[in-house]
Amino acid sequence: MIFSTNSKSDLKNAADMLKENEPTLKIDFKNSEPSNNNQLWLKKTFKKYYFKYFINVALPEKINLHEFGFRYFDEKMYRHFSFNSPGEIYAFVLKFSPSDIYCSSSFYRNPSEPMDKKEWYGSELIFDIDGKDLHLECTLEHNYTRCHGCNLINAGVLEKCSNCNGSRLNVIEIPCKNCIFFLKKEVKKLINLLVEDFGIDSKTISVYFSGNNGFHLHVADKDYLPLLSVERAEISSYLLGKGFKLETLGLKINNDKKFIPILKNKQLLDCGWRGRILKNLKINFYSGKNADNNFIKQIEKLETIWNCDFQQKVAKTIEDLSVKIDPMVTMDIHRIFRLAGSLNSKSGFAKILCNDVDSFDPFKDACFFDKSTIEIVSKIDTSIFFKGKKYNLNKGSNSVPEYVAVYLISKGLADINLKEI
Amino acid sequence: MSIKLGTNDLAKYPFLNEASTYVKETHFDLQEFDRTEMEFILNRSFNKIDNFIKNGETNYKLEKFEIEILTFLASLLILKSASIDIITKKFALFESMRFEKYLVEDLKNSFKDEKKRLILLKIFNEIFKIDIFCETIVNEFYKIRVIDYIHRSIVFHEEEWKLINRTVKNGFVYLNVNEIVRLFRNELSLLIIDKIKNMKLVTFPDKVLKKSQNLKIYWDSINKRSKVSDHVNKNRTTPPCIDHIYKVLNNGENLPHSARLLLATFLLFSEKNIEEIIEIFKKLPDYNEQITRYQLEHLSGKKGSSKKYFVPSCEKIKLQNLCHETFVCKGIINPIQLLGKRRDEIEKEEGKG
Ligand code: SF4
Ligand SMILES: [Zn+2]
Ligand SMILES: [Zn+2]
Repeated sequence: MIFSTNSKSDLKNAADMLKENEPTLKIDFKNSEPSNNNQLWLKKTFKKYYFKYFINVALPEKINLHEFGFRYFDEKMYRHFSFNSPGEIYAFVLKFSPSDIYCSSSFYRNPSEPMDKKEWYGSELIFDIDGKDLHLECTLEHNYTRCHGCNLINAGVLEKCSNCNGSRLNVIEIPCKNCIFFLKKEVKKLINLLVEDFGIDSKTISVYFSGNNGFHLHVADKDYLPLLSVERAEISSYLLGKGFKLETLGLKINNDKKFIPILKNKQLLDCGWRGRILKNLKINFYSGKNADNNFIKQIEKLETIWNCDFQQKVAKTIEDLSVKIDPMVTMDIHRIFRLAGSLNSKSGFAKILCNDVDSFDPFKDACFFDKSTIEIVSKIDTSIFFKGKKYNLNKGSNSVPEYVAVYLISKGLADINLKEI
Repeated sequence: MSIKLGTNDLAKYPFLNEASTYVKETHFDLQEFDRTEMEFILNRSFNKIDNFIKNGETNYKLEKFEIEILTFLASLLILKSASIDIITKKFALFESMRFEKYLVEDLKNSFKDEKKRLILLKIFNEIFKIDIFCETIVNEFYKIRVIDYIHRSIVFHEEEWKLINRTVKNGFVYLNVNEIVRLFRNELSLLIIDKIKNMKLVTFPDKVLKKSQNLKIYWDSINKRSKVSDHVNKNRTTPPCIDHIYKVLNNGENLPHSARLLLATFLLFSEKNIEEIIEIFKKLPDYNEQITRYQLEHLSGKKGSSKKYFVPSCEKIKLQNLCHETFVCKGIINPIQLLGKRRDEIEKEEGKG
């Protein structure tokens, strides 16, 4: 197994573990029973996953310093749990079968207390790259839109339902190869910036597939653990390329739209954003007497080739080079994150460590359900690739492997056939 | 190797440990400030404070180190005895600007003068608990670790201090002398404030008390403060999460960023204008008009290219641990659904169900 912090022996006898760690809880989950057949079936199937693959779950080293949270199949969220051992969590998960498991990236002295009594003392640096922030054109075609008014699933991303003209719609994301490719590209840009500019040791960076349509990067570099929320926001802002001033490039534009050099010491031009932008625009820097003049001349010449002004070109370059992270996620130190190795109820995929980002394929590597045939009722005609095989579905009854069933039902694109319950 | 400061350095930097050691070694007793020979020191201290707070004047002529150390000490005593927060802060700011000038000068010389450099590195290490490194390849630059930089730069609001406009490489930020000193100004002033706050003194020398009395009289004459009114509208339902934020605000406590964002987006959504919202945010202990305004304009989509931020959903609010759900929240997915609803109506509905 490529991603595990638990040793096999840790979990060798599930029945014993359950007995020893029988969870006692203050909260009553009785009202959290799934209210429909899809949820009932998913609950049963997810439980099977945890029974078999709990070894996938990458628990933090010091479990007792983290806050845990769970969502149930009734979609209710419960927070402020803490555990002392993997066994306790295992027992808890099998007993209550949550739909999603979360764990704080922060360390607390009292993780189960309310926020103001938790006593925060550090948090991993986390980045979230989400497909929807990439605004890729392909998504407009291959995603679906579900109408709240008439429940119809429309193919493509629409503004109005094709059936009832309603505008209360939500998008169902089904990432394609192109989506995954561009997500990976962002991941690589991010790693590059973290290593080159921030000097972060790449060994402390872990890349996880989010379990749905994105990637999470966790940085465990201990220097970054104590960073406050605002400081994390500043790092995000750097990565997003926000707030760049043209003057940083070593020039300004005067009232007559002429370039005026302003930085005397140009030896440092080749690093950080400044270096990155100049390199991308193929602007060289020469030292020596005529350095400033040469610098400006190059830009003037390039402007005629680009056929657009320098500022626009710089803005475009920043857009290309910036990393599309969600800044809110990075700055929020009290958030709880999906636990690595746990299932994402939006897709049934696992959030999983990617040792090799390039070769990672979520439709193969994040999908842990088995091949047994399951009867589902598809709400759409569609075809989908899983583990290198194409599955064509027609609206209505279909027999598909369990992993396809989990995915489509989690996405709200199909219902479970009653006989499977 | 232990580096000894020269007397000249002590005159410039009387807040260093070596300066306190000097006072201890000479067995100077604070009550000695009541002696007539000391009057000129007290006058010097008072004039300095007076110049800072009334005229914003930082011109200052350095005297011998013994005088400077005592003047610094006397200033702290006067401010401690007056105990007026704003005056203490103002003094600390101007005093740190004065030290900043000396630091710039010394750092500039440090590129040629090895001994000077070591002394400065020691100063940074002692008072700011941070290592600064001389960049040898590029002349006249120092570098500090990125996290040490961010930790300080985030309080500045000019864009040039944003990390993106800095030279960043391999975990370091490169700064010239003026920048590095400017970066530490706040800390220097906090250090001075701390020194004043942490002084433990039972009786102040009479002459110090007299000086501080003068300060108090001056302060009372200009001080008029207005109270911020309560902004919660009693007739309408306020979402419990927002209500809770108001409570925290009214207690004068600080709010995490996520709560500020929730409050701001909620108020913007409820068509409050930026001025009204700023009034509410004024209650924050670390309130800063400029940033608050900037952020509100940013959120409302007025500044920058940013999209309008929406009020986060209940689900998100729950994840951020800001939800304080009550019966009014039944069946809603976003706090804005409660906007404009009357409390009695909801109670009625609740009664029916
Ligand atoms: S349920 Fe929604 S509106 Fe109610 S307190 Fe929680 S977050 Fe606020
Ligand atoms: Zn419809
Ligand atoms: Zn796509």
